[in-house]
Amino acid sequence: MSVYEVNYLCRELLRDKAFREKMKTDPKAALAARDLTEEERAALLGGDVGKLYRMGANSFLMGYLPRFEACGITLPVYNERMRAEAPPQAQ
Amino acid sequence: MAEVVAAFGVPHTPFYPMMVKRDGPQSETAQFFARLRADLERIRPDAIVLFSTDHLNTFFFDNLPIFAMGVTERFHGPVDEPPEVPMYQVPSRPDFAAHLRGACIAAGFDVALTEKFGVDHSFIVPLHFLTPDMSVPVVPIFVSGHVPPLPSARRCFDLGRTIGDAVASWPGDLRVAVIGSGSFSLDVFGPLMAPGRTDGVPDPGWAERICRLMEQGEADALIDETTPKQLARAGNVAGEVLNWIAMLGAIGPRPARYLLPQLGQGHAYAVWEGR
Repeated sequence: MSVYEVNYLCRELLRDKAFREKMKTDPKAALAARDLTEEERAALLGGDVGKLYRMGANSFLMGYLPRFEACGITLPVYNERMRAEAPPQAQ
Repeated sequence: MAEVVAAFGVPHTPFYPMMVKRDGPQSETAQFFARLRADLERIRPDAIVLFSTDHLNTFFFDNLPIFAMGVTERFHGPVDEPPEVPMYQVPSRPDFAAHLRGACIAAGFDVALTEKFGVDHSFIVPLHFLTPDMSVPVVPIFVSGHVPPLPSARRCFDLGRTIGDAVASWPGDLRVAVIGSGSFSLDVFGPLMAPGRTDGVPDPGWAERICRLMEQGEADALIDETTPKQLARAGNVAGEVLNWIAMLGAIGPRPARYLLPQLGQGHAYAVWEGR
């Protein structure tokens, strides 16, 4: 159980500028020491924010990923993938 | 004699300080905040009680209270770097805050305590616009509005009412303004944001309904209609309306003196007077 860690490192993007920079330039290395499941790590590195959302990660906090372009996640990609998670009646 | 003399409802959109600086004093947001600030300066409260929702900055998933109160001489913020907002030191009143918290606990509200903390834009943006010289002591009350399960609207209203009663039982003269801050319908970086944007207003009809009920001071309808299902439909930060509901409980339900809707953003600005 480490969705906590996903949420935590999203907030670290706001607080730790060195980590922020590393998550932009070398995300694999930035995440190497983090206590993540392989599934979480792969989802982060692949920018699969929809999956992270389904796993229970907080959407407001995940917004720091595109805000700081961490793991290569741009706003258009984030926006599209996250909106795909909306309940059917809202789409 | 101590009393709640006025209540203010405002948004706390983190980029409004930057927008207002860019767009000038004639922009709508600048005008709305200026009007409320003029009222606050006319009313001249001795203290402010501010209900808002921390965005996982003061508190986090390691310790996430439903309700918390700051009991301290001063606190600082913003800790989350909204653009064009300086770091403020905000004075508080630990004696008054401890009195309020004691009354809450006596009434069955197990309000968590923090004595050393910073706050994010959700507390600072309203103060940045309403009391930028930070001359009025502020007691911050943290209401969980983002991470379900949220406290019920009834519970938040009753918390506010308890705060209003506690103000009245303060042994001394104190004129208190309460502020409730947040959006009615808004999704920030969640599945209900608008295409191509970082946010969206997924349920404008709900925002409009809240505006009407708040303007009329219809507490019963507000409490009945603000259900978990409705809040989920209205966006991932729509639970911030609970801060407005607590504020209305604190001043006591009554029509607003005025309410200025900003429906495109899913929120409003409003003032109530007299308890």
